[in-house]
Amino acid sequence: MIFTKQMILLSLIFLPMVCGVIQYAAFRKQETARDICNIVITGVIFGMALFLIGKNNVWTYQSICGNGISFVIGGFRTILVLLTAGIWFVTTIFSKSYFAKANHKARYSLFLLLTEGATMGIFLANDFFTLFIFFEMMSFTSFVLVIQEQTEKAIQAAKTYLAVAVIGGLVTLMGLFLLYQKAGTLQMDLLQIFMAGQQKTTEYYIIGGLVFFGFAAKAGIVPLHIWLPSAYTEAPAPATTILSCILTKTGVVGAMAITANLFLHDRIWGYVMLCLGVVTMLWGGILAVFSINLKRTLACSSMSQIGFLMVGVGMQGLLGTHNALAATGTILHFLNHSFLKLVLFTVAGMIYLQTKELDLNRIKGYGRNNLFLKAVFLMALLGIGGIPLGNGYISKTLLHESIVEYIHLLQKTGQSAFWIQCVEWAFLFAGGFTLAYMTKLFVAVFVEKGTHIKKDTTTIGEKILLSICTLILPILGIFPHATQDRLAEMSVSFVSAHMPDHAVHYFAWVNVKGALISVVIGALVYGVLIRKCLMKKNENGETVYLDCFPVWLDLEKKVYRPLLLQVLPFIGALFARMCANLTDGIVALLRMLIFNVDNGKFIPKEDKYFSAYTDGEVDKTVYREGFARSLLMIGIGLAVAMLYILL
Amino acid sequence: MHGNGLLLFPILFPMLMGLVIGKQKQERRRNGLVLLTVCVEFLVVVYLCFGQYALTVWQMTDKLDLAYHTDDMAKFFAVLISGIWILAAVFSFSYMKHEQNPERFFLFYTMTLGALMSLCFSNNMMTLYLSYEYMTVLTFPLVIHTKSVDAVRAGMKYLGYSIFGAGLGLFGFFFLNSYCITTSFIPGGSLNGLAVAGNEMTLLVVYLLMMIGFGCKAGMFPLQAWLPTAHPVAPSPASAVLSGIITKGGVIAILRVTFYLVGADFVRGTWVQTTLLILSILTVFMGSMLAYKERLLKKRLAYSTVSQVSYVLFGIFLLHPIGFLGALLQVVYHAIAKNILFFCAGAMIFRTEKTVVTEYCGLGKKMPITMTAFTIASLSLIGIPPVAGFVSKWYLAECGLLPISGSIGVVGVAILMVSALLTAGYLLPIVLDGFFKKGENFDTVKEADCCMTIPLVVLSVVIVLGGIFPLFLIQYINGISHVLF
Repeated sequence: MIFTKQMILLSLIFLPMVCGVIQYAAFRKQETARDICNIVITGVIFGMALFLIGKNNVWTYQSICGNGISFVIGGFRTILVLLTAGIWFVTTIFSKSYFAKANHKARYSLFLLLTEGATMGIFLANDFFTLFIFFEMMSFTSFVLVIQEQTEKAIQAAKTYLAVAVIGGLVTLMGLFLLYQKAGTLQMDLLQIFMAGQQKTTEYYIIGGLVFFGFAAKAGIVPLHIWLPSAYTEAPAPATTILSCILTKTGVVGAMAITANLFLHDRIWGYVMLCLGVVTMLWGGILAVFSINLKRTLACSSMSQIGFLMVGVGMQGLLGTHNALAATGTILHFLNHSFLKLVLFTVAGMIYLQTKELDLNRIKGYGRNNLFLKAVFLMALLGIGGIPLGNGYISKTLLHESIVEYIHLLQKTGQSAFWIQCVEWAFLFAGGFTLAYMTKLFVAVFVEKGTHIKKDTTTIGEKILLSICTLILPILGIFPHATQDRLAEMSVSFVSAHMPDHAVHYFAWVNVKGALISVVIGALVYGVLIRKCLMKKNENGETVYLDCFPVWLDLEKKVYRPLLLQVLPFIGALFARMCANLTDGIVALLRMLIFNVDNGKFIPKEDKYFSAYTDGEVDKTVYREGFARSLLMIGIGLAVAMLYILL
Repeated sequence: MHGNGLLLFPILFPMLMGLVIGKQKQERRRNGLVLLTVCVEFLVVVYLCFGQYALTVWQMTDKLDLAYHTDDMAKFFAVLISGIWILAAVFSFSYMKHEQNPERFFLFYTMTLGALMSLCFSNNMMTLYLSYEYMTVLTFPLVIHTKSVDAVRAGMKYLGYSIFGAGLGLFGFFFLNSYCITTSFIPGGSLNGLAVAGNEMTLLVVYLLMMIGFGCKAGMFPLQAWLPTAHPVAPSPASAVLSGIITKGGVIAILRVTFYLVGADFVRGTWVQTTLLILSILTVFMGSMLAYKERLLKKRLAYSTVSQVSYVLFGIFLLHPIGFLGALLQVVYHAIAKNILFFCAGAMIFRTEKTVVTEYCGLGKKMPITMTAFTIASLSLIGIPPVAGFVSKWYLAECGLLPISGSIGVVGVAILMVSALLTAGYLLPIVLDGFFKKGENFDTVKEADCCMTIPLVVLSVVIVLGGIFPLFLIQYINGISHVLF
């Protein structure tokens, strides 16, 4: 039986890669065959992933890539693998119509499958070495998905994506080197044991920070988020779905693994994570509120939601052994967000397919009469906005409760809880932003009157599939104990936590109150900020969405690019040139001294002796004269001498 | 001497065949002969690997003799070099069509192989030095092949630096002659404790000078300046072997002196080790930085060689089995990757006549195999898993961070990371432009012909599989280092 399980696990990783290459080679020209082939492959992989439910195993393959790689299945990993396989299956189906008239489809299919394999590898990794290998592979293969459209903007966005990924990967690698040096292992559970026996010094925080850097870059945590909004916007919608639902989450998984294994119940680390989380959550929300592009808003929303996740990760560290709420909250929000963004980006893709536009002013009123999309979008809005009975409400409540719990804990011991109370308010504000920007999108696309209302070409099959994906959301939201609690129960061991001692009453007044505060904030932000400041009526009396986000706040163009592309290379190159010309300089100096005639004119004699390498006719046999002949004579001399001695 | 005489075959055979090849005007026959020579050479070398051979050719005085042997290190380099020589030869068949005087090129190309085999199999300092000079002299015509003013000037620079470097080596050899029990290569070194006592300082200085001298071939600061001048002017297949293989000639000499004459223990922990580590780290950074700033493709690759070969030296000068492992893995992987890159550069220049890195926009569509191979080799040089370069860099870093390597090791690893970033910065834009940017009109450009693509495909497959399954190589290298430390 082990043999078959192992085969399934390996095929989850390598089958997509191998099949991807085969289908690329076989069906470069036949589109229909390729589409069907892809759907079948992803479907089969999803089926195989189902087989792994409830299995717990570890497999190690010595000496692959030097250090040996190791996979493990069980718990949260099984859920992640299922999620990956499922989302890939769904997006592959939607890709068919999305790319109906696009270029480079064969390339897209190939790299989509390669990325799937690499992602599976990340989620199944048992140690940081394996994790890193597949993480790097995923970075590079997904880069091709981002650059797919090959427009000027897409190339720019993809280059930023790649640069951030490469830099992040190298920093993480440096961290892993140091960690391996200290601990002698990179296996997650062994590291946990090792770190439990260590005095946590600054050294370990630096190492952990280095390892975390690459994952943070992938997750889009401020200030490494620069790639995220533009890459999401410029990538084709199915690729964005995958980026948002899975690929960005690999960074979060990395962060969770570090927190749970290296810094279990560590308060300082928890504080750092919490701060990063709060900043990302708020900044993403603000960017999303200001954005007037459908996909960009959703992209910044992803960033903001990842901030929520990082708050949860931080709270796990702060709460120590009582972190059940934070742990379950993080994991559930992780999953909920993936489900939500699957729906939202698919809807965005459908709208783009019909209108070829993403600017809110252009697509305004597109879905006014499209009841189906309106209903789907509304479901997702309720879910992500944290409205009771939506799925996001459950996880946000858990995260909120964990913050409240920590405040109580601090107050009980008589410590100041001021900063944590600030965090609580930031949390509620970010929740409010979520509602505000989602309402902005909903009103713009589905409520306001617009000019161009085109026929919907979505097929019935796609509608059914989207409905199924959407139906998951309210089911998760309405029956949290039967669904979400179960998922959390399977997963908590991944972050070395346990379930809450007693079931949480999600719909009790205390919990609903938090959601209501967010709703009020959201309403205020939408009513005051968005409607009054970010919209105005033009001469025709139509409302127009304004892009008034200050340009100078662009971290990438103002700080990173000048620093990394101009300042640092200039200093480095200056230094390098000086070194490189040192010897040549000395040689030149010597030559000047040696060939210096009295009148101060120096004669470079270099060519006079050796240029006797003649410029003879081409048809001449080579070694008749000139330098070549001299060299040859030396060679012959040696050979003759040798032969003489030998014989 | 009967069985052992076979050891002379890989040295003399290419030398003699080179003379025959130089006479051939007819292209097909010449190419056939070259292919035959390199293939036979490779098979003989592989055959030699299955036995132990030793041969003293000429006893000059009691201490000076010309002697060859096949130890593990010799086999390691001999197989690598003769294997890559075949592929470079195949590539040249097609490339040399648009160069003049192909017979002269192949004459020296084939003869150089003999010199390299002599270098690999040499069993003492004198043989090593002779082969080393032969290698320099025989590759000189490859550098000045085009006979343009630039090429001749670059050739002179190459010759000047190399001979100065070898001169330092020779100078050191005179000293070692009196401090060593024998100048034959003995694993672990053969320093005469009595003679050395009291003269440690002199010997360390001598060792440092020798390393700088032999480091010249390997492109180590301060004698690296010839490399970015000489490599780009040669025809591409020659640049490929110059960068990929000939630089490793310097590495062989450094390895032999360090581990087989002086011994690692003598140098470990001294200021000389620190100096050499600093020099190699400096070269790593300098090469990458200048490559990043360089606009001509082949020159950029030459600077890249400066940087990448110093990774090897960094690993060697750490004087630790893990660093040694990383260094020798880097020798193999860099040889392969740099050959791929120069082959690709050759194919691209051959087809498009463009030499500046920004001019290859959109070439990926026309030359997919070439650009894919370029991508794979780039990933290896940067050290992206699972391509091979990652494995060697992993071991180099692992060793650099050992407590025994001290703070200089940590700095070195940090510089390796910076260099990896710069490597990404100077190689990936070419790939990205080639595949994704619309640009130049390459309507008439075709994919390189099969003589060019076959070596590319073979090497690309090797470098990917070599990264995923490095076990055999690791075990073999550990076998070498087992007797050295």
